[in-house]
Amino acid sequence: MGTLMVIDQPPYGIWAGREALDMAFSLAAFDQPVSILFTGAGVNWLRTYQDTREINQKSVEKNLSAAPIFGVEAMYACARACTQYGLGPENMVDGVVLAENSSELIRQHSHTAFAG
Amino acid sequence: MKKLAIPARNNEGFLENANDWTPEIATLIASDDSIELDEKHWEIIEFLRLFYKEHEMSPPSNRLFVKSVKEALGDERGNSIYLMQLFPGTPAKTACRIAGLPRPTNCL
Amino acid sequence: MTDIHTLHILNKTPEHPRSKACRDALRPGDALLLIESAVLALAAQSGPESDVPVYALASDIVARGLGQCAREASLVDFPAMVDLTTRAQNVISW
Repeated sequence: MGTLMVIDQPPYGIWAGREALDMAFSLAAFDQPVSILFTGAGVNWLRTYQDTREINQKSVEKNLSAAPIFGVEAMYACARACTQYGLGPENMVDGVVLAENSSELIRQHSHTAFAG
Repeated sequence: MKKLAIPARNNEGFLENANDWTPEIATLIASDDSIELDEKHWEIIEFLRLFYKEHEMSPPSNRLFVKSVKEALGDERGNSIYLMQLFPGTPAKTACRIAGLPRPTNCL
Repeated sequence: MTDIHTLHILNKTPEHPRSKACRDALRPGDALLLIESAVLALAAQSGPESDVPVYALASDIVARGLGQCAREASLVDFPAMVDLTTRAQNVISW
């Protein structure tokens, strides 16, 4: 069932995650079912109140908020990685589904692609 | 009529500095493509500027531009024929250029 | 005045192998400066856990929405970062 893009890279500093996001948006543009799983340091994409003016980069938090508009079906976050990085409902963007079992999620998709 | 100074633009006509944008500049950029802006154009331009403010990106491709307009303004406006008539060429590219946004990343 | 023996500048996430290599290399008299993705260590459960003074670049913390978790480090701006490098006899950029 559809493609799962896995972002296991932190926001900013490296481009791999952003390229994966572009890929997800491109799939959505052609109405291909696509979802995104954030895991490892990748869950830090999902933290609220990112203010990137000082580092002169676009906010991944704001970029990501376009995902539902473009037709990305779901955004998942690895529950264990969220715990590890102190992410909870109080500091995480809306619309993210916690995944207790990432490997099960990967098995449910016909195609999985990792960032970078 | 006072003639507007044209701010710096890149080889594809996109503003080098987003802060240079004003509605008057938009009118000027539109005239490159012989487009005379009416309220239908302004509705889309305002939508795009709001979209950029919220998401810090231009809709990356034409298809996603159409999708975003559809999501925000409904089927009547969010379809490629309507947007093509307003913004000839590649609608996303033409519209972003006039709205003072960066070039959509995936528009050839 | 070079009161820091070695300044370790780390820009990798806590799970990056080089973060461990950096932690293992810390000695008394050194200092650790977290920049870019390394500031995520301040949000991580394990924390930067270090016996040496820990500094972190404020702009990188703010960019990542980590203002609330920055208690374990002294925040520095760019001039203060430069100052740190001049106080160190040696610098390692991990």
